[in-house]
Amino acid sequence: MRTTLKAGITIGISIGILVACIGIGSVSIPIPDMLTIIKAKISMTTIPKNISPSMVSILWDIRMPRALTAFIVGALLSVSGVIMQSLLQNPLASSYTLGVSSGAALGVALVVVCDIVIPVVGMFLLPAAGFVFGLGTVLLVIAFAKRLDASLKNQTIILLGMVFSLFVNAVLTLVSAMNAKHLQRLSLWQMGSFAGRRWMHVGILLGVAIPGIVAVLWFHRELDLMSFGEEQSQAVGVDTRKTKLRLLMWASLLTGAAVCFTGIIGFVDLTMPHVTRKVFGARHGLVIPMSALLGGSFLALADLLSRTLLAPREIPVGAVTALVGAPFFLYLYFLGRKGKPSCR
Amino acid sequence: MQIITCKELHAAYDAAQVGNEKTEVLKGVSFGLEEGRSVCVLGSNGCGKTTLLRALVGMVPASGEVTIFGKNMNDMNRREIAKHVAVMTQLSEVYFSYRVSETVMMGRYVYQEGLFGRPGKKDYDVVEQCMDAVGLLPLRNRALHTLSGGELQRVFLARTLAQQTPILILDEPTNHLDLRVQAELADYLKAWSKEPGHTLVGVFHDISLALHLADDVLLMKRGRIHTFCSREEILSSGALEEAYEFDVLRYLRERGKELESTI
Repeated sequence: MRTTLKAGITIGISIGILVACIGIGSVSIPIPDMLTIIKAKISMTTIPKNISPSMVSILWDIRMPRALTAFIVGALLSVSGVIMQSLLQNPLASSYTLGVSSGAALGVALVVVCDIVIPVVGMFLLPAAGFVFGLGTVLLVIAFAKRLDASLKNQTIILLGMVFSLFVNAVLTLVSAMNAKHLQRLSLWQMGSFAGRRWMHVGILLGVAIPGIVAVLWFHRELDLMSFGEEQSQAVGVDTRKTKLRLLMWASLLTGAAVCFTGIIGFVDLTMPHVTRKVFGARHGLVIPMSALLGGSFLALADLLSRTLLAPREIPVGAVTALVGAPFFLYLYFLGRKGKPSCR
Repeated sequence: MQIITCKELHAAYDAAQVGNEKTEVLKGVSFGLEEGRSVCVLGSNGCGKTTLLRALVGMVPASGEVTIFGKNMNDMNRREIAKHVAVMTQLSEVYFSYRVSETVMMGRYVYQEGLFGRPGKKDYDVVEQCMDAVGLLPLRNRALHTLSGGELQRVFLARTLAQQTPILILDEPTNHLDLRVQAELADYLKAWSKEPGHTLVGVFHDISLALHLADDVLLMKRGRIHTFCSREEILSSGALEEAYEFDVLRYLRERGKELESTI
């Protein structure tokens, strides 16, 4: 199949899933009404009387921001997964390997346990703490790696990342265990959820996602080369040390932004890059935008399932991504093995 | 004109990597390479051949001074170096499956800039030409993970050629290749090195191939230069025997005779 056709289908699937996320739920909204409401809201005209105000509110204030948040978070996680896997030349690497999520979780736990309240920051305190601690952990990992090995070799980074990740997790367990009354809130945050997300969250996430993904796209040739290893990319003219440092920072920023509003959601960043490479080949110029779309669609769909499967109860979205994702991933993997060469 | 010079080059592997001792691999190497004279680096295992090639383009940390076309290497960025010198290192593992033509196109990296710096007609022409030179045209659309070791080696060689540099540094380019491809490649490299302005620097384990390709031989022993002289001189000087601590020429002669008598 031609690449443009495949890309077209991917875009179609993304739109379809977003529409489903907005339309399906305890109140289902027909597509024509959906279009009328969105058009009226965007052009700031009045909504026709035959559409009930509660439907408008469900669509515009609840479902759309929730679906878009899930989509953007999925895109961010997926792109950061692409970067990590190529940069560290390890198909099993993700930002989680470098301790972003455990760092973020520790930050949130400390804020909750210490009952810290900062009036100006308000409701952004938890995400901000998660973000700062997540990024801080990666910076520490890189700083230590640099001291140990000036050329920043992959195995040094992965090893230190794992060590830090485990250490921070241990501290987190200690903090949680000693503060039983906050245990529930902490574990809920760690499960991840998109409930109650507003347009403001969408705005902030878009503010990170657009410049972030464009910046990463800027490095698509370097990523291609670096997935062959440092030596090979140096030989062709890439300043590997500088490029690696910049891309690691971007990947942590993308993950940090994703994690801080929604809690920890695994699996997207590990699997979606693989799925994308299987469909579109390995070139990052294509893999980066397409993995953003596929990752976004996957997480939006997972969120739809999380709120509809056992409605009115919600399943944590992190559990859905793993429950749906793991068998799907295995299926894809084994299908690829049995058939013809799995790449294109 | 000297195109690459190095003065008092020292390189050592990190203490953390090799036990707790710092192992000095290059112990003060100085020489200059003349434009158009192909050089083959010879020496026994572990004498520092590969490290020397890498140090010449700043791919391993080394102290001492290296100049490329008269310019100090420390003042050049990687892009600049890659426009003058193309290096083909020993084969690395392939994790993600690019197609053959995509991989060869990566050799044009230094000529493309910016977000949408798409390859131009010249890039495609060069890639086509380089794939043709190493017999890759029939494999152009194959994914890398479906190729054999020898085919993969040719892909990386084509990518190195696609950099279109005046200097080509090759680290055992004929590894993994069957005899026919070795012979074809040797012919191609010989022709390449005879074009004006081209200089080939290579490490070869096959001494007869090395002598076929090179004008000069740089013989190394334990991190130092043992002899740097022309191909003809090296055979009569007895230096090979000293560096390898083994009667190389007698061995080669006997193998040749044996083969002849069998045929």
